[in-house]
Amino acid sequence: MHDLALQKPGLVGRMFRSLKLPLSDPFAVFGLAVYATFLLTAIFADAIAPYDPTEILYTPEYELASDLRPGEQGFILGTTSLGRDIFSQIVYGTRSALIIGITAAFMVALIGSVVGLVSGYFGGWVDAVLMRLADIAFGIPFLPFVIVLAAFLEPSIWNVVLAMALVLWRDTGRVIRSQVLTLRSRGYVDAARVCGSSDLKIILRHIAPNILPLSFLYGSIAIGWAILTEASISFLGFGDPQSISWGYMLQDAFASQALAKQAYYWFVPPGICIILVVSAGFFITRGYENLLFPKLGR
Amino acid sequence: MSHLKAVASRTLQLALVLWAVVTILFLMFRLMPGNPMAAYIDPTFTVEQQQALMAQFGLDKPLWEQYFIYLGNLLQGELGQSFRYREPVAERIFALLPNTLILTFSSLFVAYAFGILAGAYLAWRRGSAVENAAIPLVLMTRAMPEFWLGMVLLAVFSFWLGWFPAGGTRPAGADYDSLWALYTSRDFLSYLALPALTLAIYSQGLPLLLMRSNMLDVMKEDFVTMARIKGLSNWTVVVRHAARNALLPVMTSFAIAVGYQLQGNVVVESIFSWPGLGRELVNAVSASDYPLAQGAFLMIAVVVILMNLIADMLYALLDPRISHA
Amino acid sequence: MKSTCRAVMATAFLALAAAASPAMAGDPIRTIEILSRPQASQPQEFQSIQLIAQEWRKLGLTVNVRVMPWEQMSDVVWYQRADWDSTAWQMVGRPERSDPDEIIYNLFHSSTAEKGYNFIGYQNPEYDAVAEAQRGEIDPEKRKAMVFEAQELLARDQPNMMLVHPKQTFAFDKTVWKPESIVDQSGIGIRNTWTFMALEPLGEKKDIVLNSSDNVKAINPLYISGGVDSWVFELVYDRLIRVGPDGLPKAWAAESYEWKGDKTVAVKLREGMKWHDGKPVTPEDVKFSFEAIVSGEAPMYAPFGSNIESIAIDGQVITFTLKKPAASFVTSSLAKVNLIPKHVWEPIIEDLKTKEANAESYQEKTPIGSGPYKFERWLTNEEIVLSANKEHFNAPKADRWILRIVPNVEAALGMLRSGELNFLGEFSGDPKVLIDAAKQDGDLEVVSTVEMGFRYVAFNERRPPFNDVAFRRALSAAVDRRLIVNAAYRGFAVPSNSVISPSLEFWYDPKTLAELKTGHDVAAGMLEEAGYTLDGGKLHYPGDTKETLAK
Repeated sequence: MHDLALQKPGLVGRMFRSLKLPLSDPFAVFGLAVYATFLLTAIFADAIAPYDPTEILYTPEYELASDLRPGEQGFILGTTSLGRDIFSQIVYGTRSALIIGITAAFMVALIGSVVGLVSGYFGGWVDAVLMRLADIAFGIPFLPFVIVLAAFLEPSIWNVVLAMALVLWRDTGRVIRSQVLTLRSRGYVDAARVCGSSDLKIILRHIAPNILPLSFLYGSIAIGWAILTEASISFLGFGDPQSISWGYMLQDAFASQALAKQAYYWFVPPGICIILVVSAGFFITRGYENLLFPKLGR
Repeated sequence: MSHLKAVASRTLQLALVLWAVVTILFLMFRLMPGNPMAAYIDPTFTVEQQQALMAQFGLDKPLWEQYFIYLGNLLQGELGQSFRYREPVAERIFALLPNTLILTFSSLFVAYAFGILAGAYLAWRRGSAVENAAIPLVLMTRAMPEFWLGMVLLAVFSFWLGWFPAGGTRPAGADYDSLWALYTSRDFLSYLALPALTLAIYSQGLPLLLMRSNMLDVMKEDFVTMARIKGLSNWTVVVRHAARNALLPVMTSFAIAVGYQLQGNVVVESIFSWPGLGRELVNAVSASDYPLAQGAFLMIAVVVILMNLIADMLYALLDPRISHA
Repeated sequence: MKSTCRAVMATAFLALAAAASPAMAGDPIRTIEILSRPQASQPQEFQSIQLIAQEWRKLGLTVNVRVMPWEQMSDVVWYQRADWDSTAWQMVGRPERSDPDEIIYNLFHSSTAEKGYNFIGYQNPEYDAVAEAQRGEIDPEKRKAMVFEAQELLARDQPNMMLVHPKQTFAFDKTVWKPESIVDQSGIGIRNTWTFMALEPLGEKKDIVLNSSDNVKAINPLYISGGVDSWVFELVYDRLIRVGPDGLPKAWAAESYEWKGDKTVAVKLREGMKWHDGKPVTPEDVKFSFEAIVSGEAPMYAPFGSNIESIAIDGQVITFTLKKPAASFVTSSLAKVNLIPKHVWEPIIEDLKTKEANAESYQEKTPIGSGPYKFERWLTNEEIVLSANKEHFNAPKADRWILRIVPNVEAALGMLRSGELNFLGEFSGDPKVLIDAAKQDGDLEVVSTVEMGFRYVAFNERRPPFNDVAFRRALSAAVDRRLIVNAAYRGFAVPSNSVISPSLEFWYDPKTLAELKTGHDVAAGMLEEAGYTLDGGKLHYPGDTKETLAK
C-alpha cells in the first residue's frame, strides 16, 4: 500500500491496476474479448448496420420486404415479418444491451459498494438501518417488481436499470460490508486512525481500493442480470418498442411465429448474442473468484 | 444470545420486512397516474354509477384511510376484490398457488438431484478434460433467457418430436377425483415435463457449482486424507465421506432457490400455458387490475421472505464451523 | 468572384425574407401525435400506424407515434378528450352489431360527444338528423336509404380515417368434424354459437376442444365481461332472438315475434323449454330477465332494457311496450339479453340490493341457463368444460365443448397440429403461417371471413388542424388502403371507407369506397387547395392561423 503511494501513478492507472483484471484465466480472457467485440460493435453501429433498425423496407418492386431469408435481396440475415432488417437490429441491439448492462452494473456496484462501505465502516445504527433496508430489498421479488414498474412507467429500457438500482444493490452491499468488517480489523486501518487520518481518507485510501475488485465482480454479474431481465420484460410485452433490443427481437420473432416459419435466422442470433454477452460476464466473474478466493477454484 | 431471544428478534425482523413490502406495494399501485379504475368504467355509466363502483372498491376514501383499511384487511387474510374478475383475490390466488408450487418444487428437485451428482462427479474428476468442458457449459446454461430455452424445447420436443403435450396441466376435459389423483397421474407428468425441464436446466447450475467447490474444500480435509490412506477407493471416499459433508450448504441454498425460481416461473408459465401465479400477475398488471396484481405480488413476496428465513435458520443450524467442532 | 458573392447573399436575403414574412402563411403545424398499441399485442395495428406516419411525414408534417397498452390508451382517449390528436382504434364485430344503429348513432351523434362513444367530438346537425330518423324507421327499405345517406355524409366529412375490415381466420380439424357442418356467420366467422351447435363428429372424438389466449373472467348472464366470456354464456343461456348466420334476427326461445305498431312487440315463448336444473322456462322468467337488467344491479346491461315501458304476459305471449320507437330493438335488445331463471336470481338480486356490490360481481358456482350447453366445470385459467344439453330444442351434435386457455399463439398452432385442439377459436398470428401449416398437415381446414368490425384512425375534431374537414380529408387520402391491406394485414382484410362492413350486405353502401381517391399527390393537392403551405419542407396552416396547441 505504502509503495503504491510512493510511486504516485496516475489515478486512472491506479484504479485500473486495483481492478486486478484476471488475465491469466483463458475463459476470463475470452470473456473480456467478447465484451471488447460487442463494445466496438455498439460504438460503430451506425457504420456497421446497413439500415435503420425500425425502418420499414421495400423491395425494388415496391413490395414490403417481409420474411426474406438470409441473403435474399441482399439482406445478410433476412428481414422480419414487418419488413425490418434483422442484421441491423442485431447490431443496434448490441447498443441497447450494453447501455442497459453497463449502466445497471454501474448503479448496482456503486450503490452496493457505498452501502457496504458506510455500513461496515461506521457500524452502529447506520449499519442497523442499512442492513434492515437490505432485508427489505431481499423481500421484494425482483422480476415481478420490474414488471409492475415497467407497466406503470412509460415503456423504456431505463425501467430495468431503475429497478435494478432500487433492488439489486442488496447482494453487493452485504458482501462488501462483510469484507469491510474484515479489513477494518486489520492493523493498518487502526494505524491510520491513530495517525489522525479522517474517516473519508481512510475509506478512500485504504479500504475502497481493496473492495474495488469485489464491486467489479458483482458489477459483471449485474450486466448479465440486466440483459436477461430486459429480455424477459420485452418478451412479456412490457418492453420499449422504439428502441431495438435483442429481447425485443425475440419477442417480435415469437409473436410473428418465427418458430412455425422455421425462421432460425431470426430467433437464433439474438439468443446467441445474449448467451455470449451474459456468459462472458460469468467467465470474467469466475476468473475473479479464482483470483480473489483461490480456495474456491481448482 | 439465548435461543428464545434470537427467535424473537428474527420474528420481529420478519414482521418489519413484511410491513415494508406491503407498504411499498400499496404506494406503488396507488400512486400511479390516472384513475385506477379507468379501464373498468364503461363510458355510458352515469356519474352515480361510477361513484357506486368506486365506493364498492373503497376508492372514494382518502389515501391514508385506504392504506389502513388495506392493512386491516390483510391482517384478516382479506386481499380485496379483483377489478377484472369481480371476485375475491384470495380465492383466485389459492386456486393457482398449488400449480406454481408443484412446478417450482419438481423442477428444483430435478435440478438439485442432477446438480449435486454432477457437481460431486466434476470435483472428483478435477482437472480432467470433462471438467474443463463442463464448467463453461454450465455457466452458459445460466446465461440463456428462460423463455428462449422454453420456446426451443417446445418446438423440438412437442411440435417436431411429439413426445410431450404443448401446454396445460392435463388432457382436455379430463376429470380427477382429487388434486392428489391428478398430480400422481401419468398424464400430469407428461404435461409437467417440459416446463419443469426448462426451469431445471436453468437452475441446475447453482447446486452443481456449489457442490463442486464444497467438495473440493472438503476433500482437502484431514479425515478424507485419512480415508485415502486407509486404502479406500477414490469414489468410495467421494461418496462416503466428502459428499456427505459437502451436501449440507448446498441444501441450504435450496430454500433461496425456491424464492428465485418462483420469480422465473412468470415467463415459463406463459409459454407452457401453465395456470400459475406468475402468469396471473402478468395478466393482472397489463389489465391494470391492481388488487389482483397486488395480491399475487404479495403472495410471491411472502414465499420469498419465508424461504430467506428458512435459509438463514438452516445456515445457522448447519454452519460448517459448528458441525466440524 | 465579387458578383458570385453578391448573388449568394441576395439569395440568402430572399430566403430570409420569405421565412420571416408572416402574412404569406400561418404558423407551422406542431408535432402531430398518433397513438397505437404495442406490436406485441397488436402487430397489424402497429404496422399500419408506422406506414401511415411515414406517409404523413411526406406531406410535411412532423409525426410522433406514441405506443401504449390498451388500458392507458383508452384512459387517454375516453377521459382526456381534449388532449390527444389522433389514435388507432377498432370496433369489433358482434352479432348484435348486425343492426347498424349502434355504430351509426352512438359513434357520431353529437349527444354522445361529451361522455359517450363519440369521443372524437364529431358535430354535424345534418348528420344528427339522419341518425335520429333511421332509429325510428321500421320499414327496412326506407331505413336503408337513411343509413346510406349517413355513410355518405361520413365519407364526405372523414371524421375518421377508415382503414380496413379485417378477415377473421379460424381453423378446424376436418378429420374430427364434418366440414359441411361448419356454419360461417356473416361478419363474424366460423367461430360462433351456430357452429358449436351444428358441428357433426365424424368418428370417436366428439368433444369440441378450442383455444383462447385470454382468460375467462366471469360466466355471468348480467355482466358484459369480455369477448371470450361471451362465447361461453351464449351457449349456456338462451335469448328470445338470436342473430342468424345471415346477420338477420331469427326467432329462438321465441317461437315467433311481431311488431304491433312502432312501439309494441309481441313475442310468443316456445313451449316445453327447461332450465338446466329441470324446472320449466316460463313467461315470468322472461319478464324477470328484462326487469333484472334495469334493477340497478346490472349497469352494463341496463341500456338494453331502459327503453322498455312495460312488459305484459298473456299465456305464452309476452308483449313489450317501448317508450320510444326503436327499429333496432329486436336485434340489439331481444337478441342481447340473456334469459335467466327467476327462482335462482330473484333471491340473489334482492340480497344484492342491500349491499354495495352488484350482480356483476356475483359468480354462481354452477351457472343455470336453458341453453344448448350445460355448465360442467371451470378450472381457473386453464379450461372450461360444458356438456351438450340433449333436451334442448336445438341440441348440439357434439358431446362436450372444452375451452382451453393458451396464451401463446405459437403453442396454439402446435396444439392444433398435434390434435390437442380440434378447433382454432382464436388466432392472433400471421394467417399465412396458418394456411401453410394446414397445407403441410392435411388434416386442417382454414376459413377466413370478412369481419363486421373495422380498424381506423380516429381524428380528434376538438383540436386544430383536425377540426378542418380539408385537413382530415387530405390525411385520409394520403394512404392507399391497399398498402395497409397488404403490408400490415398481409392480404387478410378488405379496404374500408365506411363504418358499415361489406359483410352486412343489406346496409353497406359500396359508393363510399368507390369514390375514395388516394395517393400522395391527391393529398398534397387537397392541402394546397385549402391554403396550407409548405415552407422548408414543413407544412403551415392556411391564412394567418396561429398554432395554439404547441407544447
